[in-house]
Amino acid sequence: MQTIETEVLVIGGGATGVGVARDAALRGFATVLVERKDLAEGTTGRYHGLLHSGGRYAVKDPQAARECAAENGVLRRIAADCIEDTGGLFVTTPWDDVEFGDRFLAGCAATGVGVEEIEVGAALVREPALNPDIRRAFLVADASMDAWKLAWACARSAVEHGARVLTYHRVTEVLRNGDAVAGVVTVDVRTGVTLTVRAQVTVNATGAWAGQLAALAGCRPVDVVPGKGIMIAMNHRIVNTVLNRCTMPSDGDIIVPIRTVSVVGTTDSPVTDPDQLEVTQAEVDHMLDEGEKLVPGFRKARALRVWAGARPLFGAKEPGDEKTRDITRAHTLLDHRQRDGLDGFVTITGGKATTFRLMAEETMDLVARMASPGTDRPCRTATLPLPDSEPGAYYAVGSRLAQRERHLLDDQLVCECELVSRRDLTEALDRRPTANIDDIRRALRLGMGPCQGGFCTYRATGILHHQERLDQATANRALLDFLQERWKGLAPILYGDQLRQARLDDWLYQGLLDVEHLPAAAGAP
Amino acid sequence: MSDDGEIVVVGAGMAGLVAALRLAEAGRRARILAKGFGATHLSGATIDVLGYTPAPVMSPAGALPAFVAEHPDHPYARVGAGVVEEAVGWLKGHLTDPRYVGDLGRNFLLPTAAGVCKPAAVAPQTMAAGDLRGGGPYAIVGLPGLKDFYPSLVAGNLALATTPAGTAVGARAVEVDLSPGGRVDAGPLGYARRFEDPRFRADFAAALQGRLAADEVLGVPAVLGLAGAEQAWEELEARVERPIFEIPTLPPSVPGLRMFTVLMAAARRAGARVVIGAEVVGVETDGYRVRGVWSGTANGRRFYPTAALVLATGGWAAGGLVMDSHRVVREPVLGLPVTGADDGAARFLPGYLDHHPLATAGIAVDRWLRPVDARGAVLYDNVRVAGATLAGAEPWKEKSGDGISVATGYHAAMSVLTEEG
Amino acid sequence: MEDPVRASLDHCVKCTICETACPVAQVTPLFPGPKYEGPQAERFRQPGASADHSVDYCSGCGICSQVCPHGVKIAEINSRARAAYKAEVGAPLRDRVLARPGVTGPMGSPVAPVVNRVMANGPARWVLERAVGLHHSAPVPPYAPRSFQRWARSHRRGAGVHPDGRSVVYFHGCSTNWFEPDLGRMVVAVLERNGVQVRVPDQGCCGLPLQSNGLFEPARRTLRHLAHDLAAGGGDEPVVASSSSCGLMLKREGREILGLADEDLRAMGERTYDICEFLLDLHDQGALDTDFRRLPLRVLYHAPCQQRGHAMGTPALDLLRLVPGMEVVESAGGCCGIAGTYGLKKEKYGIAMAVGEPLFEQVRTGNPDVVACDGETCRWQITAASDHSSVHPVALLFWAYGLEL
Ligand SMILES: Cc1cc2nc3c(=O)[nH]c(=O)nc-3n(C[C@H](O)[C@H](O)[C@H](O)COP(=O)(O)OP(=O)(O)OC[C@H]3O[C@@H](n4cnc5c(N)ncnc54)[C@H](O)[C@@H]3O)c2cc1C
Ligand SMILES: Cc1cc2nc3c(=O)[nH]c(=O)nc-3n(C[C@H](O)[C@H](O)[C@H](O)COP(=O)(O)OP(=O)(O)OC[C@H]3O[C@@H](n4cnc5c(N)ncnc54)[C@H](O)[C@@H]3O)c2cc1C
Ligand code: SF4
Ligand code: SF4
Repeated sequence: MQTIETEVLVIGGGATGVGVARDAALRGFATVLVERKDLAEGTTGRYHGLLHSGGRYAVKDPQAARECAAENGVLRRIAADCIEDTGGLFVTTPWDDVEFGDRFLAGCAATGVGVEEIEVGAALVREPALNPDIRRAFLVADASMDAWKLAWACARSAVEHGARVLTYHRVTEVLRNGDAVAGVVTVDVRTGVTLTVRAQVTVNATGAWAGQLAALAGCRPVDVVPGKGIMIAMNHRIVNTVLNRCTMPSDGDIIVPIRTVSVVGTTDSPVTDPDQLEVTQAEVDHMLDEGEKLVPGFRKARALRVWAGARPLFGAKEPGDEKTRDITRAHTLLDHRQRDGLDGFVTITGGKATTFRLMAEETMDLVARMASPGTDRPCRTATLPLPDSEPGAYYAVGSRLAQRERHLLDDQLVCECELVSRRDLTEALDRRPTANIDDIRRALRLGMGPCQGGFCTYRATGILHHQERLDQATANRALLDFLQERWKGLAPILYGDQLRQARLDDWLYQGLLDVEHLPAAAGAP
Repeated sequence: MSDDGEIVVVGAGMAGLVAALRLAEAGRRARILAKGFGATHLSGATIDVLGYTPAPVMSPAGALPAFVAEHPDHPYARVGAGVVEEAVGWLKGHLTDPRYVGDLGRNFLLPTAAGVCKPAAVAPQTMAAGDLRGGGPYAIVGLPGLKDFYPSLVAGNLALATTPAGTAVGARAVEVDLSPGGRVDAGPLGYARRFEDPRFRADFAAALQGRLAADEVLGVPAVLGLAGAEQAWEELEARVERPIFEIPTLPPSVPGLRMFTVLMAAARRAGARVVIGAEVVGVETDGYRVRGVWSGTANGRRFYPTAALVLATGGWAAGGLVMDSHRVVREPVLGLPVTGADDGAARFLPGYLDHHPLATAGIAVDRWLRPVDARGAVLYDNVRVAGATLAGAEPWKEKSGDGISVATGYHAAMSVLTEEG
Repeated sequence: MEDPVRASLDHCVKCTICETACPVAQVTPLFPGPKYEGPQAERFRQPGASADHSVDYCSGCGICSQVCPHGVKIAEINSRARAAYKAEVGAPLRDRVLARPGVTGPMGSPVAPVVNRVMANGPARWVLERAVGLHHSAPVPPYAPRSFQRWARSHRRGAGVHPDGRSVVYFHGCSTNWFEPDLGRMVVAVLERNGVQVRVPDQGCCGLPLQSNGLFEPARRTLRHLAHDLAAGGGDEPVVASSSSCGLMLKREGREILGLADEDLRAMGERTYDICEFLLDLHDQGALDTDFRRLPLRVLYHAPCQQRGHAMGTPALDLLRLVPGMEVVESAGGCCGIAGTYGLKKEKYGIAMAVGEPLFEQVRTGNPDVVACDGETCRWQITAASDHSSVHPVALLFWAYGLEL
């Protein structure tokens, strides 16, 4: 069995994990990150996409509001390429209390959340699809943030500073050395090969899975209750500004325009296993009804896909709370030496994608004290921009179209809905040799548009096979797996236009190509 | 049906075209009103009658009697196996350029663009040489610029196949780097236009010179020209001195367009009127008869009186059947009841390739293809329903798409004609 | 409310049917096609920003919207995107000139002989091409010495027209007024022959050329003005148009493309008829005089794209088939390429000619005595490219009635 040694080991490739890995690498620590799937395949890749202004928590959770407001400013500086500066509106719909607006303004003022009340008419000019019966409107600095870009940019930066990022490496065992955690054993889920990683400090950044991971370490139970939330992406940008209901946070009260879609969400219900997130019809209907309140006609618009994520909700109060728990209630940093007498092991969970950097900073402040006490290795992530990000140069939804226009004559489109070209595909494959079309999907948004892979599944498989990146059996398998992967997010929202699309795709794959009878189809999922 | 007024056919897919052509041919005034074009433009253009039950079907004629007995609600059970055969035979007579070959006695097993051999009863002559029974060896020729066809994927899967007789199949991919004048992002249509040019065909044949084994059968993407395809194909066969067959690509479908063009021209020649871009938005009835239909125009709607109505609006994929966000299911033109989509029952299963309950939902009809209610009572005397709108089939799995549309489109026309005669 | 044109992109299932029908995408790689420009690119567009330029190659013929089985308003989306693009880059002088026949017309007509000499003159056309980008071979008809309106003002109601009978407002359009006044006179004569009283109020342009050149604001003003002109002094009689594209502007495009929600405009749109549509309706009501003389002509009828956009069938074809001795063949569809002013522009002239080639070829090989076509620019294009004369279908009816100018 192969073994590698490092100073800091990070488990989990979500926003928090890559944030910690980048922070660690920038501080000069030898760093390894292991993730059981692809980066951002956990909650980070399934979140709502909102870079909070803090407005949402201004009344309910001032501490979280303050953190979001501050981090919003930081991320706009360091991660502009991952952020679209949509701005956000909090609106009082006929279902909301008009007075809440006053509490909202007061809360924002108290927590440093920038806000401006604007005329209802001005809000309607800005967003013509908005419910014309709203009674108040407040403008805030909400934005949308692309989770995949963010995770990959952090990982790239970490790697540039010497870190190793191992995807598809699942931690199966936590190694103990007496009262200390000494590292982990991982298994490469694609090859079955095991790898041991020995580390001075191990950071458990597995979000909703943090309880499971802590159990492997054998410490006292870490009570993380996964909270399921569903979101529905609508086929196009019905609005171009983030819309929030101006009320206490509740279900289905936010619509986020991100990339080419608008996402309505979300719900919150406790589940036992973050890997089993069923979407029910009732939840879908609830989202559509709530969407209708913000944008009349919402139910007539086309739903593209539905998915669910699991919030890492930190449960019971910890004994000796003030010591083991971090000062804010928004996220939880556990020092297991103090908590369980277990050295070299730290858990960071909870929080928001918006505050991932702050969480990483706090985590690494603690880890740095543990790993190299007495030395001063300050955090640099608040000022150093991510690769490809220039302060102020926000991502714009039209950029892909503008780029495509430059290559009309020298490159062909593979995924037409999301304008992914053959060269994009080949370059992504060269950057990151992977045979998994689903990895490509996340990297490039291939197959994420209206037809949900109707054309590009076949094309991508054909190209990968042609370039000999896939052998015959794997190609067939990859094609069927991708179709199944897409189906999962479609079945609960199949009505209207998307049902027509699904039926056309059936005709393409079954009626025309006959993929049910591919040589590998016998064991199809 | 009383007077000999105009008969409105709603839909310009295979079912609508067949019905209108058959009516016009019989001397009736037929008018096609269609929202847009139908699945002809996407279809692989083989006339699939029955391919899987789900066991592979070698002879549709042989399998139909048992299939119909087991599936009493299937459109084929409504019209009867005899009509299926008659209708497909009639259609074959109309399909020229290219001509169609085969019959219900035996299915061809024709390679798809994924390299699976798909059963089809009748196929364009330009595809027939692909039949798996020949056993190859196949040389699958690709045009690297064509993004809707991957020869190595096709050849790789063909090489894993065995013939029905159990012998192994040889297959390999060959590439010919000819791109259609300046177009990097060319689809099947771009190439089809180039193949209409004899010089391009000569270049294509020349590029294959010396690269083929003597016994190889050549599979090419189905882009050998829109017009004059049969001639282009014959000429290419002569040039490379080997059998050539076309393999349908992803849409747009060049062979589908050929089929559409031929049928549309025949219908027009026979006197059918055609309005494309005219969505039928409502009907006027007196009780059990439809008097006429309203179709959308640029500035409102227009009324077309009709002696009889053939509803050939397609299935879910075409908007002939619709479901709203409350999961309420509708047939939008006449508001006919949709069977097999019961509220509350599961409509989809977790596996993509499962048999989803919603798949067979559609309009229930009697043996004259008149729409009926849940108790089997006829809803409109002078309405006939044809094609993918009908309940009881899962054509993309059965491989029965155009078979159903041709049989029911034809039967709908015959039933209108005989009832009057 | 979300804009319904944009919202229609949701219906696209990527079936590629529109791609099979778009005449421009078939002939040039510079234009990636209706699916790309319409529902696809629209998902990447934001108000006030234009990220794409290839949409300028869309001729606006509208065929894509007709054939899309799913109700995507592709051509309308393109038209909006083109306007955004033009707003960003600014429209060239040439487009602004071509877009205003109502302004250039009055300038042209009094000095018609001079202008016509310039337009017929080879070297002068090259200069024009260089200066304003008007292709030197593009079919530009001569200005008529006397406008239709001048004729109409002095026209006395025809014999047999009862003042209390059916009456219509005639929307003749700019081309009839400045280039083809005889067509207007024939329309009036054919209507009067059928007892219909024809009012011809003074009227301006419908704004279509402005709209198709992406100049939306002036187009809106122009169309509103026209509606006002046509309504002047009248009640709610039907409006009859002899230009299929200008009629469509009144019927639909003002509403759908320019986004005009004016109630009176909508009402006028609803009572607007294409001349052949109106005549065929008369026939259906038994009110059309079918006492045609024998005209042994072989006619190729071509329904222009904009005519098909009315979704009213092919009334011209049905009417011509009433004429004894006339042998009418319908063209196999296709587009002549001109698409209003599109084919006049130097960077698009070649595309337009390639688009029209299959149709020209049909004309050449079919060699009919005459081509009948409802669109004026289409007629000029067909005649210029195929060397066959072309007329409005009403002109054939006029002759078949044995009428004279
Ligand atoms: C429905 C929903 C909507 C949300 N919306 C927003 C929002 O709009 N804005 C916002 O700021 N925040 C939002 N959040 C919160 C935010 O998404 C999360 O707080 C954040 O993404 C958590 O990141 P993470 O890295 O801690 O966890 P994750 O992203 O879940 O990362 C944990 C990783 O650990 C990996 N892992 C687990 N077990 C193992 C193992 N044994 N071996 C190796 N790896 C393992 C997992 O695969 C996973 O990738 C939302 C959350 C939910 C559920
Ligand atoms: C990708 C694909 C590949 C296929 N390949 C094959 C193959 O290889 N072999 C085979 O046998 N079959 C194949 N088929 C199946 C076949 O082509 C048709 O789907 C089937 O025959 C159904 O035809 P239809 O005429 O009933 O409906 P459609 O072809 O869907 O036509 C419906 C028509 O109705 C019109 N319409 C709908 N609503 C209205 C309204 N309200 N008013 C006016 N008009 C309306 C539509 O615009 C359209 O013209 C394929 C289908 C697809 C989609
Ligand atoms: S025809 Fe309509 S649905 Fe099909 S690709 Fe074009 S816009 Fe989309
Ligand atoms: S309007 Fe005409 S030219 Fe423009 S995309 Fe549609 S079909 Fe093509």
